[in-house]
Amino acid sequence: MKKNKLWGAGATMLLAIALVVSGCGAKNDNNGGGSASNDSASNGSAGGSEESGIIKDIKDRGKLIVGVKYDTKLFGLKDTASGNVEGFDIDISKAIAKKIFGDESKIELKEVTSKTRIQMLDNGDIDLIVATMTITDERKKQVDFSDVYFKAGQSLLVKQGSPITGLKDITKDSKVLGVKGATSIKNIEDKVPGLRVMQFENYQEAFAALKAGKGDTLTTDNAILYGMAKQDPGYTVVGGTFTDEPYGIAAKKGNTDLVALVNETLKEMKDSGEYATIYEKWIGEKPPTE
Amino acid sequence: MISFRQVNKHFGNFHVLQDISLDIAEGEVVVIIGPSGSGKSTLLRCINRLEDISDGVLEVDGAAVHDKGTDINALRRRIGMVFQHFNLYPHLKVIDNITLAPVNAGGVSKEEARKTAKMYLEKVGIPDKADSYPSELSGGQQQRVAIARGLAMKPKIMLFDEPTSALDPEVIGEVLSVMKLLAKEGMTMVVVTHEMGFAREVADRVVFMDGGRIVEEAKPADFFERPQQPRARDFLSRVINH
Amino acid sequence: MLDFSVLTNNIDDYLEGFKYTIYASLLGLAGSFVLGTLIAVFRISPFAALRGFGTAYVEFFRNIPLLLVVFLFYYGLSSFGLQLDGFTSGTLGLMVYTSSFIAEAIRAGIQSVPAGQMEAARSTGLTYVQAMRFIILPQAVRIVIPPISNQFLNLVKNSSILGVFAGLDLMYFGDQVNLDTYDAVSTYLFVGMFYLILTFPLAYATRVLERRMANAA
Repeated sequence: MKKNKLWGAGATMLLAIALVVSGCGAKNDNNGGGSASNDSASNGSAGGSEESGIIKDIKDRGKLIVGVKYDTKLFGLKDTASGNVEGFDIDISKAIAKKIFGDESKIELKEVTSKTRIQMLDNGDIDLIVATMTITDERKKQVDFSDVYFKAGQSLLVKQGSPITGLKDITKDSKVLGVKGATSIKNIEDKVPGLRVMQFENYQEAFAALKAGKGDTLTTDNAILYGMAKQDPGYTVVGGTFTDEPYGIAAKKGNTDLVALVNETLKEMKDSGEYATIYEKWIGEKPPTE
Repeated sequence: MISFRQVNKHFGNFHVLQDISLDIAEGEVVVIIGPSGSGKSTLLRCINRLEDISDGVLEVDGAAVHDKGTDINALRRRIGMVFQHFNLYPHLKVIDNITLAPVNAGGVSKEEARKTAKMYLEKVGIPDKADSYPSELSGGQQQRVAIARGLAMKPKIMLFDEPTSALDPEVIGEVLSVMKLLAKEGMTMVVVTHEMGFAREVADRVVFMDGGRIVEEAKPADFFERPQQPRARDFLSRVINH
Repeated sequence: MLDFSVLTNNIDDYLEGFKYTIYASLLGLAGSFVLGTLIAVFRISPFAALRGFGTAYVEFFRNIPLLLVVFLFYYGLSSFGLQLDGFTSGTLGLMVYTSSFIAEAIRAGIQSVPAGQMEAARSTGLTYVQAMRFIILPQAVRIVIPPISNQFLNLVKNSSILGVFAGLDLMYFGDQVNLDTYDAVSTYLFVGMFYLILTFPLAYATRVLERRMANAA
């Protein structure tokens, strides 16, 4: 927490510097180029001198370009009727744009998929990935992640009023539904020895089976379960997450000042209650307390 | 034993039987003759309700055949029937062809039925064919099995529907002799046939039908010597000369 | 190309699935035959109501995809409070779907038995049902063995529909093996091999039966 605060302060300072020196990009670049240690994230001023470049670029461009999903319920979904892309990821992205420009509309959304997003980031097609991206050690080698902005993980969807309130209520005789090929099947079968998950072709079928009473609970990523619960209020996500797959916002490796700005934004949103508002708006319940 | 009163039958618009009134007494052998399409087979088939009559009264052995409420299966157990094309059950051995109805409809034990069946096979002259399949028998043998099958329920009446029409000439005799034997034993028989010799020799009465009506009925001697109706005369001249 | 370790490493899954495929097939075979015979008898019954029911049954079930028939049992019935699992729904669906084809084959077989057979049987005092049972059906069966055996083979193969409804059959476990091994070619070739273990003897038995019946008649 303390570190976060320091980071926030650093980011604010960097932002201030960036504001002051905007318009003098060439001079800044020279400075940055002269600094040998600009890769060191801990070196605020050295990093700042170069990394203020990306923020300056964004400002010069006049808009923030964010890679988001277009096909993911609750997080980034294109409304076929209006053509608008909407979701939790989108609202977070807008808050970052607002932080930079003071205007949340100075943003351009580009569609990414799990396969394309890192490539697009590396190519400079997008400034940030806000696209249900789980923070993993593997990915940390490729991109820089912000703090966790959504605690994703495997959870349980049950009918309202179900005696199942969490993983502890699942026995090997429970009727658990899942989707073929999902890692979530292995996870829960490992956690509940002897359990055999009934597996379906896709999430629609698994949810249909749950609704038809074919099982006691449906398990997969909570992000997907929240989408189902939203679709049918008769169902609810219980027991928190029993796997840890936190979502982070990714910036191109080395763009630590942009990451810092994102973290600052997230913190401010949390402090102001805006995060909770957005969370509740999309996910349908209050964000979990830390 | 059998009594038709003003019986009519229609096949759609076709008036097959018109105002049939006929009485057949117990032990009587009645031969029905007439040109094809005259309704004689239909008349025969009405007796055990293989055909429903359209109106009129038809009573057989005290049962009202025209009445839908009559237990027709019970009546049919008292009536044996022999068909032109034998209609043996090809998937069953001769013995099983004969015992099927006694065992399943007659409430007779299997052993009892087999004994009776063998007795009748003896009677029709083919005791050694009990374990053959119908396809292994000649036409004459098949028809004799069919007679044994008809007799197996120990019926009061036997119906014969052109029993020799599908047979080769050389085996007709063996079937007719079995029928003569039955007649001699006092069985009530109604026979549709083209065998004028059989009619003349065995029948107590000949019924001549044409166009769905009974045109003439008489003792065989009278009928064959002095037919009263022009149509009967015409028919006889054609069959006899043939 | 064919990696036998896919089979040996997952033999438990294969055998588990094979077991349920056998159950579904045997139950389906028996059920669809009995049901199909019954419907066929309805189809040619002297009672218009039964005929109508038989016709409606056949035309409904043989003209919709098997998937939908199983859907009906799996989801349709649960809205009436009857909760069937994937195996049961799938097996019932197979039975009902296949029975409509079998009913048609048997109806055609029955109607190919000469009318005189029924008349002869009825004339001895046998009831309609007895005549059907002792005389008509045994003869029809010989005629319908080839088309019915085709339906039986289809039934065994169609039992893979259970996999869609978590019915624990070969295909269901095959999918899981595939997701573990990422070797679809080997996985499904072995799945196919298990189906052959069932279908090949069935096809062979049919041929023997046909020959024996041809000799008997």
